[in-house]
Amino acid sequence: MIELKNVSFTYARGDGENGLQGINLKVERGEVVLLCGTSGCGKTTLTRLINGLIPHYYEGMLEGEVTINGQAVSQLPLYELAKMVGSVFQNPRSQFFNVDTTSELAFGCENQGLPREVIEARLHTTVSDFKLHSLMNRSLFHLSGGEKQKIACASVTACHPEKFVLDEPSSNLDTAAIEDLRRFMEQWKALGKTIIIAEHRLAFLRNLVDRAVYLKNGSIVREFTARQFRALSADELETMGMRPLCLKELKAAQPAGADQRLTEAQESTPLAEENHHLCLSRFEFAYHSSEPVLRMENLTIPKTGVTAIIGDNGAGKSTFARCLCGLEKRCSGLVTMGGIHWGGRERLKRCYMVMQDVNHQLFAESVMEEVLLSMQRQKTKEATKITKATETPEAKAEIILKSLNLLHLKERHPMSLSGGQKQRVAIAGAVASHKDILIFDEPTSGLDLVHMKEVAAVLAQLRRMGKTILIISHDLELILKSCTHVVCLEKGRVTDSYPLNGVGVNKLKAFFGSGTVSSEPVEIEAVVARAVGH
Amino acid sequence: MPRELMQSSPAQGRFSLDPRSKLLLLLTGSTILIAGSPQGIMTYIRPVFVLLPLALLFLSGRSRVAGRFALIYLAALLAEQVLLPLVSGLGGFLLVAVLGILTRFIPSLALGYYMVSTTTVSEFIAAMERMRIPRQVVIPFAVMFRFFPTVLEESRAIGDAMRMRGIGGIRLLKNPLTMLEYRLVPMMMTTVKIGEELSASALTRGLGNPVARTNICRLRFGVVDALLSAMAVAAFACFLTTV
Repeated sequence: MIELKNVSFTYARGDGENGLQGINLKVERGEVVLLCGTSGCGKTTLTRLINGLIPHYYEGMLEGEVTINGQAVSQLPLYELAKMVGSVFQNPRSQFFNVDTTSELAFGCENQGLPREVIEARLHTTVSDFKLHSLMNRSLFHLSGGEKQKIACASVTACHPEKFVLDEPSSNLDTAAIEDLRRFMEQWKALGKTIIIAEHRLAFLRNLVDRAVYLKNGSIVREFTARQFRALSADELETMGMRPLCLKELKAAQPAGADQRLTEAQESTPLAEENHHLCLSRFEFAYHSSEPVLRMENLTIPKTGVTAIIGDNGAGKSTFARCLCGLEKRCSGLVTMGGIHWGGRERLKRCYMVMQDVNHQLFAESVMEEVLLSMQRQKTKEATKITKATETPEAKAEIILKSLNLLHLKERHPMSLSGGQKQRVAIAGAVASHKDILIFDEPTSGLDLVHMKEVAAVLAQLRRMGKTILIISHDLELILKSCTHVVCLEKGRVTDSYPLNGVGVNKLKAFFGSGTVSSEPVEIEAVVARAVGH
Repeated sequence: MPRELMQSSPAQGRFSLDPRSKLLLLLTGSTILIAGSPQGIMTYIRPVFVLLPLALLFLSGRSRVAGRFALIYLAALLAEQVLLPLVSGLGGFLLVAVLGILTRFIPSLALGYYMVSTTTVSEFIAAMERMRIPRQVVIPFAVMFRFFPTVLEESRAIGDAMRMRGIGGIRLLKNPLTMLEYRLVPMMMTTVKIGEELSASALTRGLGNPVARTNICRLRFGVVDALLSAMAVAAFACFLTTV
């Protein structure tokens, strides 16, 4: 049994991470408890209290008592807690300590100093229980995020802890990988293990949780039984700032007014009309002397639309984005916009990718400088282009910052901002350097409803500026909210490409639905609308 | 694709040596070839260490690499015999230096390549643990193997981001310090973050446990290992007598 008695915690380094106040929570053996709430509500902090990272790793002010089977967490060393509580974290890239998968599975057991025969037997059962044969003896650096997360779950399982603590494990996963994660949890539950999971994505947990705890500003505000939780309507969830429980309930947002007409106009124009489209033909890419990993015969991307690039992990989405940006030199084929061919160099000037980890693309010492840095290059071009010669670069930068709601942050260091703000600074840089095509790589992975809506708003803003936008995403809700077209990739080939109209929405849902087959039948027909501005 | 420092998955070859004997061979082989001179008994021992890496590479299914090393070595040897008497002065001096380095280093390089390309990281760590090297040395090694590819991945992503922003090129030459800053600051931010999360995850899996760690990696010190190690020790003893 896990018990938290009147626990409060404040981080010593107050850098955005939020503490907890007056938490009382009891989790019985074998229970599956969901911790939910918006970003910064304290659910991650709560998981750290249980796995002992607080107070042993993260420093701060701790009051109250956390006990596991009657023993105080603060009195037990982390390596003792490790035998009782297994932890899975959000980022698959920073969770493995070894370089190959087999050693990684054995890592926890090796640390406990178990005899080799015991470890080997445990590995054997874990591998066959979770069907991991194909992942054994491989380099972790060559696995996809979903595969890494599977290894993380399996290596924790091999330690045979009684309790599992998961901190937003699905953030970086696609539909198929989330399904794998759900299976892991199902097996743990069947074995009578206690599971505590903090999550934004609720749909895959629908039939797993016994209890849901809703946190807000560091306190437990409400608790739901499994039945109450399942009965929550989309509206109720939305007021609590949470993602939907049932993906099938989602409906495409109809962009209001003028936007809508634009969409309709696009649908009626023939796809081949060059001026309004970015046309790719015989677009191919291969690593050294191997089969092409990307092969696109013909693809048209609407110039004024927002196109979602979907496909499972390893389908070639990121490779496609890199090639389109001109980052891969060995990429062949024709890319034309308005009848003009864009070579790799030209594309490098015209395209900008907002990376999944925006930390990679912020260089300057303040937000303002970051935008000015992008302008410097444009000086010569701008002099001829812009008629208002009186405008200083600073003034122009301020206009861009204002449009992205960043003006009040212009003096801040980019690294001191929140994830969403960093993303917007990166976008501001792209706008400042007059990039026409913006590609977003998983812009909403790990984001809650409020922040996802923020991203959607920025996308709408960029679209009004006339940018061509492509989004690589696993986030059905975001795609339905922002996109006008969908391109589906599989093994480097375009399997489908369609506008997001009534038929398109169904196709899209079928794609995302395929991975979420549940052991219990989910009522497909319960359709509830949740539209933008609704 | 990231490049690891060592192999991360076992090789499919049938012939394999224990990492400990590989290490021993590498150390003695390179000492004898680089520091020793062909005098007395060493005239017979040196060729053994020239042929050994080629044989090992060939046995572990890397005959193409073995062939390339052999070709370069033979070319250098031939040049030493044929070209050297013909050239004199500064050119001759340079030629002696280059050929001397080639003939001395190529076999050691081949042995080093053999070791890195046939040993997995876990084998290497297991061997270090088995040699009773303290944990304070082994764990930093493990972290290094883990971090090297990560740093490469990060660096590549940052390089891409710079190219997309048009940072680099001529401005790189004008202001190298700023460029270094642009490269290093994001790199440090991301690697520090990864490092922090990595330690948290490793600690929750009991890394700090004071009990003796097990290692499931099986090391087999077989007959071949014993023979080669004995030979290495004997050769080294001979080397010491000639110094």
